[in-house]
Amino acid sequence: MGRTRLSILREAIANLTRRPSTIKYPVAREVTVAPGSRGRQYADLMKCIGCSLCAIDCPANAIVMEKLPEPLKHNPRGVFPVVDYGKCIFCYQCVFVCPVKAYITTEAFELADYSTFTSRESSLSTIASGGSK
Amino acid sequence: MVIVEIPIGPQHPALHEPIMLKVKTDGEEVVEVAVTTGYNHRGIEKLLEKNSWIRGMYIAGRVCGICNAVHTQTYVQGVEKLMGVEPTPRANYIRTMVMELERIHSHMLICAVMAEIVGFDTLFMLMMRDRERVMYLKELITGSRVHADIHVLGGVKRDVDEVRRARILDELRKIEERLKYYKKVYESDYTLIRRLSEVGRISKSDAIRLSVVGPTLRASGVKSDVRFDDPYAAYSEIPFNVEYRDEGDSWARMMVRLDEALESVNIVRYTVEKLPQGPAVPKTIPRAAKPGEVISRVEAPRGELLYHIVSTGGSNPYRVKIRTPSFLNILNTESTYLGHRLADVPVIFASYDPCISCTERVVVVDEKSGRKAYVSLKELARGG
Repeated sequence: MGRTRLSILREAIANLTRRPSTIKYPVAREVTVAPGSRGRQYADLMKCIGCSLCAIDCPANAIVMEKLPEPLKHNPRGVFPVVDYGKCIFCYQCVFVCPVKAYITTEAFELADYSTFTSRESSLSTIASGGSK
Repeated sequence: MVIVEIPIGPQHPALHEPIMLKVKTDGEEVVEVAVTTGYNHRGIEKLLEKNSWIRGMYIAGRVCGICNAVHTQTYVQGVEKLMGVEPTPRANYIRTMVMELERIHSHMLICAVMAEIVGFDTLFMLMMRDRERVMYLKELITGSRVHADIHVLGGVKRDVDEVRRARILDELRKIEERLKYYKKVYESDYTLIRRLSEVGRISKSDAIRLSVVGPTLRASGVKSDVRFDDPYAAYSEIPFNVEYRDEGDSWARMMVRLDEALESVNIVRYTVEKLPQGPAVPKTIPRAAKPGEVISRVEAPRGELLYHIVSTGGSNPYRVKIRTPSFLNILNTESTYLGHRLADVPVIFASYDPCISCTERVVVVDEKSGRKAYVSLKELARGG
């Protein structure tokens, strides 16, 4: 009995000299996520064929198919998926179900920003850069 | 003496979901407890009927945050039976790995919460810090700390590579060491033993009569575990012990959980070391089920979880009925509070590992004068 009390006390004292377990986020941005963490995802339009499977399967109805600004040969329907990150639950069903593996996955989780409200800009930028090959 | 009614609930930030316990006390002694539920109705069963089988996987996973992989497993294994799909052995091992990690962190969480409720905040902080290691492992395997979402019909979404396997084994060593230490603390600490032992005792015959499940049942000396009695996923191939105790009190329930968490570490280690070769990720996913109905059950961290799925063919289920373990453990145990002191009510309640909220404040009503006074849960737990 007494020994356990001492061991908890020893543990508590040892922790005084250790680095704190808490992180002063967002002042200190030392947050590390595990490799392969499910973060922001967007479609690579050089691969996307506009099949809409991701929009059909999305459990949160976060994906809407929008018209492409310019016609792309490999995308006969002329539509591409736009992910609303406010609705997205990051289950990655869209990434899994995609028949051409068009989704680009990242580990980005800081999404409280207007520029990352939807995946529209990120997806459209893949046309300009020629897509990720 | 005046009988005082003290409503505990329906909101408390320390526990996760809302429920109300109406406790009537005669002085310090509890004379009647009435449990009121229904504060957290989200229409999940209706939602499952309205959505496709594939969307249903994610909806089922969101019934509970802590045991999400277990809920998905129960739903998916039922739907797989309806669709006639079999997951590969490797997929089954990965599913088991994730579910057992979930059991470890769930048991660590309630042991930490129990320490906080009895006023042992240091132990709470230490356990929650070490629980983060388990959450990291879950993130490493599935991609998310909390919501695993690794199941798909016929397999899992992502495989576990060699680098990850080495990392898991390394972390497991540290987790096991810490769990053994916490078990020692729970076994021998004066405060914990005085607060938990002989409190909320359920005898073996009462446990069977009240239909309690999970660690609550096993702490009363009944060796019942779905993983052992009706093996699913990879449990038929994994050697493990069903932990049980005969004491039947709150302390025994916590000890069963700590023993089980240690056993889960061994199961995870076995699944990582003996991971079968072959594919884990299915190439195609089925979308339509045959007509029929299926009952699927799984041992969740809190006990037996049961799904009854009815299909009339097509892309949506006709009916999905969910019976969660906490429902039995909370509603059927009203009698176990009687005769104990008011300060023991949060202890007994937490010892059932409720997946539901307790309260931040209680209102004490003097029935004669109608005078009201507020007491916080902490004061209540500490004998206030």
